[in-house]
Amino acid sequence: MKQTPDVTLNFQHIFHQFEHCVDLVHRTFPEIHTDILYFPNLISKIAFSSMILEPFANIQLQEVDELFKQSQFVEVFHSKEAVVGVLEGKAAIFNQGKVFLIDIYGPKDRNIEQSGTETVITGPHDSFGESVSTNLSLIRRRLKSSHLKVIEYSVGEVTKSKIYILYIDGLANMNFVKELEHRIKIIEIDAVNEGGVLAQLIEDKPNSIFPQYLRTERPDSAVSKLVDGRIIMLVENSPTAISAPSSFFEFFSSPDDYYQRWTLGTALRLLRFLALLITITFTALYVSVTTYHYEMIPESLLMTLVESRNRVPFPPVYEALLMETMIELLREAGARLPTKIAQTIGIVGGIVIGQAAVQAGLTSNVLIIAVASSAIASFVIPSYVMSASLRLMRFGLIIMAGIWGNLGLIMGVALIIIHISGLTSLGAPYLIPVAPMKGTDWKDIFIRAPFSQLKNRPYQTKSPNQVRQKIRK
Amino acid sequence: MNENEKLSPFHIAVLVFMSQMGIVVFTLPNSLAVYFGTNGWLFLLICFVVSTINIYFISLVFRLGKGRSVFEILERSIPKAVLYPVYIGLASVWILFGSMIGKKYVLLFQMMAFPTTNPMVIKLAIDILVYLLLIKGIYNISKAATFFFWITLWMYPLMFMFLPHFHWIRLTPFIFKEGHDMVKGGVDIYASFLGYELFILLFPYMDQKKKPMLAIYSGNAFVTFIYIWYSLTCFGLFSLKQLKKLLFPLLDLQALLRFPFVERLENLLFGFYLFLVLITVVMYLLAAQEAVRRITPIAKSHFFVFITIAVGYGISYIPKSIDQVNDWIMKLGYTVTGIGFGIPIIAILVLLIQGKGGQSHV
Repeated sequence: MKQTPDVTLNFQHIFHQFEHCVDLVHRTFPEIHTDILYFPNLISKIAFSSMILEPFANIQLQEVDELFKQSQFVEVFHSKEAVVGVLEGKAAIFNQGKVFLIDIYGPKDRNIEQSGTETVITGPHDSFGESVSTNLSLIRRRLKSSHLKVIEYSVGEVTKSKIYILYIDGLANMNFVKELEHRIKIIEIDAVNEGGVLAQLIEDKPNSIFPQYLRTERPDSAVSKLVDGRIIMLVENSPTAISAPSSFFEFFSSPDDYYQRWTLGTALRLLRFLALLITITFTALYVSVTTYHYEMIPESLLMTLVESRNRVPFPPVYEALLMETMIELLREAGARLPTKIAQTIGIVGGIVIGQAAVQAGLTSNVLIIAVASSAIASFVIPSYVMSASLRLMRFGLIIMAGIWGNLGLIMGVALIIIHISGLTSLGAPYLIPVAPMKGTDWKDIFIRAPFSQLKNRPYQTKSPNQVRQKIRK
Repeated sequence: MNENEKLSPFHIAVLVFMSQMGIVVFTLPNSLAVYFGTNGWLFLLICFVVSTINIYFISLVFRLGKGRSVFEILERSIPKAVLYPVYIGLASVWILFGSMIGKKYVLLFQMMAFPTTNPMVIKLAIDILVYLLLIKGIYNISKAATFFFWITLWMYPLMFMFLPHFHWIRLTPFIFKEGHDMVKGGVDIYASFLGYELFILLFPYMDQKKKPMLAIYSGNAFVTFIYIWYSLTCFGLFSLKQLKKLLFPLLDLQALLRFPFVERLENLLFGFYLFLVLITVVMYLLAAQEAVRRITPIAKSHFFVFITIAVGYGISYIPKSIDQVNDWIMKLGYTVTGIGFGIPIIAILVLLIQGKGGQSHV
């Protein structure tokens, strides 16, 4: 059926829409009665030259109709479509009352670089960037399957950011896909600039301290999630891919675990869970022991502890909070400053905390060790978002330990567990495979069993195709 | 709760274990020694047999009633005017029992570590945790219980450290000599097995295709195993006279644990028992909530949960000392034991009458 153009679909009206946009370019080709509007910063100069300049320069007036019949010229019938097209990096071509759009999008992007937050020792080093087409390409080139489906949505009333939902047909549970689509459709917000924003908008419990979706900048990681039967979301202009549904324990695995021998991978996994224990409880335990339970320290160690604490004028809880805040300040300063200055801050902070604070009698040596171990342990956790959440919770536990010692500490842990056991990720239990208990999945959570043992996809994904491999060994 | 979310056998077993297990293990070896004397731990086997029979009754209700809720079964044959006051009574007993268990834990902790702290302040903090857990519903409670189970599991093998000091000769070849008041003591000790009886109320939440009754048996068997494991160790480490004098033999034992970096773990270990106590208290309050829900749907609301806990908190002000709390727990324990046997027996009778075409009040 032939559509009739709306009355506002003319050059003057559309040009007027872009009033005071100095970055818009208007070019005319009087010989063929054609006008073109585009944003030069959004387009590829090569594409512009080969798809518009060359054909238009070498054409006669009577051949123009034939030219516009080619498929790269898409006729539009509404002025809004034309405006949106120009904003998306297309060129709007006005010829004898008709308007065509031609896609010549190609702004300059950052090159494919190493991930800054998720480095691995072995394995691929490329990471997602801001260009969503590059990101899609990084996934497509690893996953050569027509079953990899990509759905596009636009979110953000002002920014109109594109969001892509990726899943493997036959591996992903379609109920999750539908639920995700539903949650994205109902978002009403002015701007979604980053994957992290989208993740918060579609979380089951936005007020929880725990991240409910795993985020990654690594395409190999994203592909392995897809193959697990999970869903990946990409946001335009964001290097963050979001994986859903996610389990709490997934945040403690790194692609490195799979690229090394399984014994090493297992040791690393266990080390990370040890780090989890240390990061949330070690300083709190110090506070608890030095405030209420000195009897827990063996005699030989007690002398050292008492000596190191005898000049400190504060109760342990203040001392610990002071030092923890100091470490957080250092970390935040290091994160915000340029790399070279950040190093200086690290050294200065290290000296101030390590030496001066102890000599000045503001804190004890043992606490420095506790705080430093907790901080280092928190950085062992591969997911920065999770590690940040855990560090924040540590403050709560320190305060609880300062109030009621071991009992307070245990109460704090109980509170965390009660909270976390009610969480879900896209409706799937967050604590799976521990609670609800799925023993077979423990092989790929607490340890990294040999590949011959990892027979099934994670239970959480409820994949219609559970079997991952049939290695006979 | 999502309709698809049902308690799997593993979760039921863990919930049963966590509901039964509690701070009673600290006094259990002493009670066994006082009431039953030599080789008192053997009485736990009798308790196991009795509780297994009780669970068999529960499984009969499950089988005859085809997995229907026990309330539904009763309401079909007994007028509501009779049942509702009974529900209120049941709920009251369960709320009191749960609150007293919480209070006992708090008093013990106060005795150990915080002699100057007002126990009711600690009780308040624990009740807040109970509230947060209870409003999440049975499925999330079971998830939390499972997590608690895994993070407390490491405590039980610690007893292996005492094996080099264990001597069979301390057990003596005599059975149940030097004890007294065995009947009273027996009922008293049996209270430490309580918790499984609540699961008669939870049939509708169980995944009925997957042998939920076997799970209750397993949970009960595991708790028996742990009780025997602890008590036997105590009987092999202390003499009978010592055991009779030590009020909390397990605490004394745990105080002897030594590691290179840490010793006197009893405080921390006792802290970990909070996880077990929380689930026990929550399960009793949940049972009370289930009973009142038959009368009014308000029982499902957060407000009702708040009121339940507040009432329990208020009443737990009354007993001041551990002795008084023990007295309350003992008396309530008798009642709860009676209820534990009473409900399944009545339900079985009702089901038999219904099976013979008895009159229905629906």
